[in-house]
Amino acid sequence: MNAVASPPAATNRLPAGVAALALMPLLLVPYVGLPSNVIRLLLVTLLWVAMSLAWNLLGGVAGQVSFGFAVFYGLGAYTAAFAINGGINPYVAFAAGGLVATLGSVLIGIPTFRLRGPYFAIATIGVNEAVRIVMSNLEITGGASGYRLLMTGRFSQEEHYYTALGMALLALLVSWYVMRSPFGLALRAVREDQDAAADLGVHPFRCKLTVHALSAFLTAMAGGAFARYTTYIHPDGVFSFATSISILLTSVIGGLGTLLGPVIGAVVYSIVQEEMVVNFPQFHLLLYGALLILIVLFEPGGLVGLARRIARGLRVRLTGRPGGPTVARVPLPRVGS
Amino acid sequence: MGLADLLNLLASAVLLAGIYTTMSIGMTVIYGVMKMVNLAHAGFMMLGAYFAYEVSQRTPIDPLLAAVLAAPLFFLLGIATYGSMVRRVPVADVPTLPSLLLLFGLWLVLQNIGYAIWGADDRSILTPLTMATFRFAGITIPIIRLIVFGIALFSLVSLHVLLTRTWFGRAVRALTQNREAGQLVGIDTQQMAMLTFGLGIAFTGLAGALLATLYSFTPDFGGSFMLRSFVIIVLGGLESFAGVAIGAVIVALIETFSILVVPASYQLAISFILLVVALLVLPGGIEGLLQRRRLVQ
Repeated sequence: MNAVASPPAATNRLPAGVAALALMPLLLVPYVGLPSNVIRLLLVTLLWVAMSLAWNLLGGVAGQVSFGFAVFYGLGAYTAAFAINGGINPYVAFAAGGLVATLGSVLIGIPTFRLRGPYFAIATIGVNEAVRIVMSNLEITGGASGYRLLMTGRFSQEEHYYTALGMALLALLVSWYVMRSPFGLALRAVREDQDAAADLGVHPFRCKLTVHALSAFLTAMAGGAFARYTTYIHPDGVFSFATSISILLTSVIGGLGTLLGPVIGAVVYSIVQEEMVVNFPQFHLLLYGALLILIVLFEPGGLVGLARRIARGLRVRLTGRPGGPTVARVPLPRVGS
Repeated sequence: MGLADLLNLLASAVLLAGIYTTMSIGMTVIYGVMKMVNLAHAGFMMLGAYFAYEVSQRTPIDPLLAAVLAAPLFFLLGIATYGSMVRRVPVADVPTLPSLLLLFGLWLVLQNIGYAIWGADDRSILTPLTMATFRFAGITIPIIRLIVFGIALFSLVSLHVLLTRTWFGRAVRALTQNREAGQLVGIDTQQMAMLTFGLGIAFTGLAGALLATLYSFTPDFGGSFMLRSFVIIVLGGLESFAGVAIGAVIVALIETFSILVVPASYQLAISFILLVVALLVLPGGIEGLLQRRRLVQ
């Protein structure tokens, strides 16, 4: 079993090192006199990083593409909002949101994971829309007029920033740990061939349910932090299909199943979002759609795959021979095999 | 509720089922031959709707005629889409993730091109017939729905003839049943996939244009209809052409009669819950269920 316990570490070591290096300036961000608008952008980016990494565990590592993560995001946002308005400590509120979403993920997962990949993906579209409609019509969510968080005390952007940073780090650590654990190997086995994995003693249903719960928890935490930061949420926003799409896109753009990919995808997404939404409100989805098409057609490994390919090309050109240990390209999983 | 009300609801459910069948059959044909779930379905429906709108605005052509004209045009559009993009993604006996993501990306692109061209305003197509009704034995039927039903029915009969009386149809049915065996007997799968995708998109565009004469639309149009199509083809057993009609009737009946029990704002949620339930408990659709019964007996 020792061989199983030590998966190829080469693919994980580099991104972890990069992350550690990137962390130091990130810790100092609120104190170097950056305009608060930039800090806000970084904060939002960090929350996207957290969600992108969370989705990637289910969609990238385990190969179960879900179009329904807005459900968890929304559950996290609303649970945290209710709890904070009820006078509960915000961090406890985030955790409570995570737990509610975990429960939700199990309730959704038990029926839907009986379906294989593509049918699971379609079912999640249905789940997402059904939940959104129900939530929009419930009295308790504030319906179409939304729900406002009652904020007491001074607004501290630093605190919000560190919350977001903490969540991104948590997602990163969990992802890193899962990817190099036997559980991560089991998930990959399920992605590659569910039946073969089952023959080798992996319980696909249990694995999927577990990773779904983990992803949901992390997504909901970010949703809670987002709700607290914006102080206003409404069901058609947090439960919207567009939110689900964005969470999925960040991972796919960056590179499915990798650790660095979702981080890069989320950063690119947030920056593009920031620039596009102001100037061309409708075009950002057009851009993402085009990007998605290009990625599927030409570089299934996403931006990370593209970078690797370029690096490999450069190495060949500089040294004149195919460079050292080539890192396996992570292709889009064949769902349902 | 009186008998007349019941008959009225029943009539409108049947008329709805007709257009729902046309709408879903495009998805079934593509799924059957290529094993791809067309997530760009909504995008092509939206284009169909705006095609009918533009034609009826700019020319004296009647929107219903424009809808019929949409079919050949969208056939070509489907072929172009296939040739430029869909051809390049892997196919297997089950939908592959790249195909799902590609078509989903295409939906995003189409939808937002729609927003870029037509903006987010609600549009609707008014024809001289929009307000006209037809009364028969206590049942009131809007004439436009009757005509849309007629066109839908005609398109389905044409498809049936195509599938049962031509070599193309025979090849489509063969590939739907068993892709590899189809290849073994010499069917050119690439060419068939191209024609099938064109055919599927033709039906999708036609359905979008027809629905545009009944409902108002924005570039977001089609999303909820696409989900209904999923429900219908899942109920129908995914690759059965007759099953689609059964699925459409069931969805139309449930939607029409659920008004009596469920508040209108929850209407759509019913379709979506039905989708999940259908996927779970009816893996072979209604037909599969009937067949299983037969096997047991």
